[in-house]
Amino acid sequence: MFHRERTPLLWAFFQALLVVAWGFTDVDTGPGAAAAMQSNGDRFKIEGRAIVPGIKTQDWVSSARILVEGEEFVGFLRTDGSFAVNDVPSGSYVVEVITPNYRFEPVRVDITSKGKMRARLVNYIKTSEVIRQPYPLQMRANGPNTYFMKRETWGWTDFLMNPMVMMMVLPLLIIVLLPKVVNTNDPEMRKEMEQSMNMLNPNPELPDVSELMTKLFSGSKGSSKASTSSSKGTRPAVKRR
Amino acid sequence: MAKLISLLLKCIMLCGIVGAVFEDQVGKFDWRQQYVGKVRFSHFDAQVQSSKKVLLATENNVFAALNTRTGELLWRQVDKTGPEGNIDALLQHGQDAVLVVGDGRLLRSWETNVGGLNWEVVLDSGSFQSACLVGQHDNVKHVAVLKKTILSLHYLSNGHQKWIENLPESETVDYQAVYSGGNGDVYALGVVPNSHVTIVTYSVDDGEIIKQVSVEAPWLSNIQSSCAMVGQGMLTCVDSATLSLYMLDLHEQSQMAQVPLQSLGLEVAPGFHPVLVSTQPNPARQPLSEFFLQLGPEHYLLLQHNDGQIVTLRDFNPAMLVSFATTGEKTIAAVMSPKNKTACSLNLFSAESGRRLLDTTLIFNMDPNGGKPEKLHVQAFLKKDDSVGYRVIVQTEDHTLTFIQQPGRVMWTREEALSDVVTMEMVDLPLTGTQAELEGEFGKKADGLFSMVLKRLSSQLILLQAWISHLWKMFYDARKPRSQVKNEVTIENLSRDEFNLQKMMVMVTASGKLFGIDSKTGTILWRHYLENIPSNSAFKLMVQRTTAHFPHPPQCTLLIKDKDTGLASLHVFNPIFGKKNHVTPPALSQPILQSLMLPLNDQDYAKVLLLVDDQYKVSAFPSTKNVLQQLQEMASSIFFYLVDSSQGRLSGYRLRTDLSTELIWEVVVPTEVQKIVSVKGKRPNEHVHSQGRVMGDRSVLYKYLNPNLLAVVTESTDTHQERSFIGIMLIDGVTGRIIHEAVQRKTKGPVHIVHSENWVVYEYWSTKSRRNEFSVIELYEGMELYNSTVFSSLDRPHAPQVLQQSYIFPSSISTLEATLTEKGITSRHLLIGLPSGGILSLPKMFLDPRRPEIVTEQSREENLIPYAPELMIRTEWFINYNQTVSRVRGIYTAPSGLESTCLVVAYGLDIYQTRVYPSKQFDVLKDDYDYMLISSVLFALFFATMISKRLAEVKLLNRAWR
Repeated sequence: MFHRERTPLLWAFFQALLVVAWGFTDVDTGPGAAAAMQSNGDRFKIEGRAIVPGIKTQDWVSSARILVEGEEFVGFLRTDGSFAVNDVPSGSYVVEVITPNYRFEPVRVDITSKGKMRARLVNYIKTSEVIRQPYPLQMRANGPNTYFMKRETWGWTDFLMNPMVMMMVLPLLIIVLLPKVVNTNDPEMRKEMEQSMNMLNPNPELPDVSELMTKLFSGSKGSSKASTSSSKGTRPAVKRR
Repeated sequence: MAKLISLLLKCIMLCGIVGAVFEDQVGKFDWRQQYVGKVRFSHFDAQVQSSKKVLLATENNVFAALNTRTGELLWRQVDKTGPEGNIDALLQHGQDAVLVVGDGRLLRSWETNVGGLNWEVVLDSGSFQSACLVGQHDNVKHVAVLKKTILSLHYLSNGHQKWIENLPESETVDYQAVYSGGNGDVYALGVVPNSHVTIVTYSVDDGEIIKQVSVEAPWLSNIQSSCAMVGQGMLTCVDSATLSLYMLDLHEQSQMAQVPLQSLGLEVAPGFHPVLVSTQPNPARQPLSEFFLQLGPEHYLLLQHNDGQIVTLRDFNPAMLVSFATTGEKTIAAVMSPKNKTACSLNLFSAESGRRLLDTTLIFNMDPNGGKPEKLHVQAFLKKDDSVGYRVIVQTEDHTLTFIQQPGRVMWTREEALSDVVTMEMVDLPLTGTQAELEGEFGKKADGLFSMVLKRLSSQLILLQAWISHLWKMFYDARKPRSQVKNEVTIENLSRDEFNLQKMMVMVTASGKLFGIDSKTGTILWRHYLENIPSNSAFKLMVQRTTAHFPHPPQCTLLIKDKDTGLASLHVFNPIFGKKNHVTPPALSQPILQSLMLPLNDQDYAKVLLLVDDQYKVSAFPSTKNVLQQLQEMASSIFFYLVDSSQGRLSGYRLRTDLSTELIWEVVVPTEVQKIVSVKGKRPNEHVHSQGRVMGDRSVLYKYLNPNLLAVVTESTDTHQERSFIGIMLIDGVTGRIIHEAVQRKTKGPVHIVHSENWVVYEYWSTKSRRNEFSVIELYEGMELYNSTVFSSLDRPHAPQVLQQSYIFPSSISTLEATLTEKGITSRHLLIGLPSGGILSLPKMFLDPRRPEIVTEQSREENLIPYAPELMIRTEWFINYNQTVSRVRGIYTAPSGLESTCLVVAYGLDIYQTRVYPSKQFDVLKDDYDYMLISSVLFALFFATMISKRLAEVKLLNRAWR
């Protein structure tokens, strides 16, 4: 999740170089400095429009707000989805549309001391990078917020599509079906099969895997196993007698 | 292979920290309550007869619409806090509500059905005085805003300014009111105190001054407090010095007519400034010629102005509150008068005649634990038979809104005091009565064998009885449909649950009202209004005795301190029932500097509270002989610190055996350069489970766990963005030794800080990069522990190793807190309140100064996440999903009986309670645990063995026969 950002970053930086060359002079005037200089100066207005595709504006504007740089300036949405945040001094601000149900990307808006505006993508790591966005702002919700995790549900299909189950079921099918498909009464076929069986037959000198396992377990954990299994084992033994 | 396993582990772990909510858990153990604050203006929507809406503008800068049937919010718009979002006026016209905001800076029009903005315009600067709607020919099209020097008229449809005019002689004349009677004129009323009144008449069409009059009025100083517009443009004023009414016709006269109150046979209560209340039901028409005159705190008169004559329509004595309301063409007056000590009665009177309307009596029962009624908001409506019916919102001093319908049925109440919670505590619930009975047996002194046996038998019998009744109830409830079974929570049936997940939330609000809220449902179980609390008080709530010491009742102590004088008082109460305790707290005659709870108990198991006054004298509460003796023994090991941020001094004191104090260390932060903004210690009820961290090479890095460590945050006094900085200092509170000091340059506050275990996390604003940054400091003793059994500040020769790392956080934050669990085994999360209303649960793992830049084998083994500069905000980490908490001011965390579970309460304008599981629910079965599957598998296996056994037997038998 950390590597994914690399390539767009490079690309973005390249674009930024282009845009900077294009000639926006004061890239980095902090809000503090700007505010200090403009303490009694002009106040500006950040304008834009927010859209949630497929949803009527009346249904979501009452729960939405525009936050500029945290809660430093607050704006409200008009019934048509447009907004204006008044009384903002020059500086650089992150503008966000806040709704509980929809996700909007924040935008950084720079206001020069003369009131010239521009919007760009927010990048907290390379803060001076400029990727232009339209101004007046066009905020488009990119879907509803996902707050919830999906529960792991248990269904027969999940169980059957499990690779382990598939691995078990397929050989079973082959074992059951193959003798039916191949005519075993044919003497030629039988001969061929016997031959192949002989080839498949393992070397009798090699130890059997199952035997090896039983030896292994009975050796180390034999005592504990015996104690646990004894209680279970007694009842059937009695009955068998 | 080991690599693979560790990778797998890491994957699991990374998945594991995604502590999100599942969709089916919504509302299961969380709840939210939304508030608006103390109501300043209200307006019932009278457009449609069956309207269910009331608009409220509050002192918390909130504008909201409530559903009058249920009391729930239809919508709410939350503006900035502080004077910039202050709502100065609310005017309603049709669907639109016009607000003047921020001392006349903005004019906003809201669409009240949707809750969206119609328009917003910026007004010229100047302090706001008054605003009114302006109508002409029964048609309201404009709104007039009067400021100190200007009068402007705006269109209601789009907010555009029609005209703006400077007020004449605004240097000398103090313009205070604007009025329009619907005849095409706008009147600006100004006063030169104790000299004359100036009335300027403007034309609505072009803002031209039609007339300008000055009238002698040497007795008048404030129009808004002593004057009202009545009838056909009569400016009516009341003067308390001459005890007369003065009237002036704005259209003709140039002199005020004086009507002595004595000539009407009226008398003013001594020392009371009379008040006039008039009403203008339709802004396009004249105000009514009837008005109220208040002559005493509980004395009102309904007067009528008739051709220059004042007629008394009715005398209301006693009457607490009056209000006008209009429906259709009818205007009525609602009068609230005291009935007895606990109830008031409301009656309706016809405004025109002063006659009492039949069948309009309504009884309002006052809450003995609430405040007195303060304001009436009346909704009048016409019934089918053309008579007038009404409903009323009674606002009381404790900010409670009670909506009452005839004949006194309370439809809903809203405790708006909860919009301003200052501090809170969570208290364990007591055991049930029967359990307590059994416990109580051991508490009492033994008195003979026989009686003890009897007592035991009787309590066992009670237990049996309770169990049977419980069974019976279960059986009885099971037969009823589920919707009918109501589990009403009351104080009587409150009891602790198995895992201690349900607790009592004791909340203290700024208005001085205390609440006890059930944490499971959010029901308010008790409330208690403390009267005469100064408005700028600071509160500190302490739990002196928990519920664990039956038969002693639990005990909470609230320290209320007036910030100006420093004088404090104590309120001691039972947190479960909210009742005041009979223990008399000590009278505190000296300003209090510091209060501290000691881990000492008196003989009744109450923790000892020490109060340090400005003479550095210490007083204890409770101060029994036993306590004083214990204090004397312990005195040499009791240390405390004082902070004086105005002088930048941090000083440590030690208690002497005679309860005087001795200064032992002092740290001075030069106030010219920086100021102390906060000092944070650790939470006393915090447990740390593991003393160290296992490293990749199997060695142990021991944590520096100093319980006396203080984190001191300073901010530079220079706020220039190049030179501002914040500093953090870690000081041992006992010895005054500075353990660590760090300065972040080109940064500024506000700093949010959490101090816990061996780490400090703080957040600040970086002015250089214009972003919020988190920084974490962790302290380690090293590979060896100096003294692993006891920590003593006086005996730690080695300075701890300090590790620090910083991260970018892509949002500003409102508040910061860390989760807390019973034993501290569960991993920690940071709970971050965001301005958007979300509460983010960020694993502490992301804020770990040991996160490596280059991944190595060892760091992978340790499960360290590689360093990335930016922390992410994932919406899955919001513990409150879409239940946003507006203006979150504080987050309170409390451990529950389950180690995995931490109880969280976020408070601000809203209150939100939930549980978080920082390491998932490892100690209980998950909610979605599939009992069906596991039992069906078990049964299937059981039957399979049965069948196969049978088959085997048959086979054996067959073989034996062969």
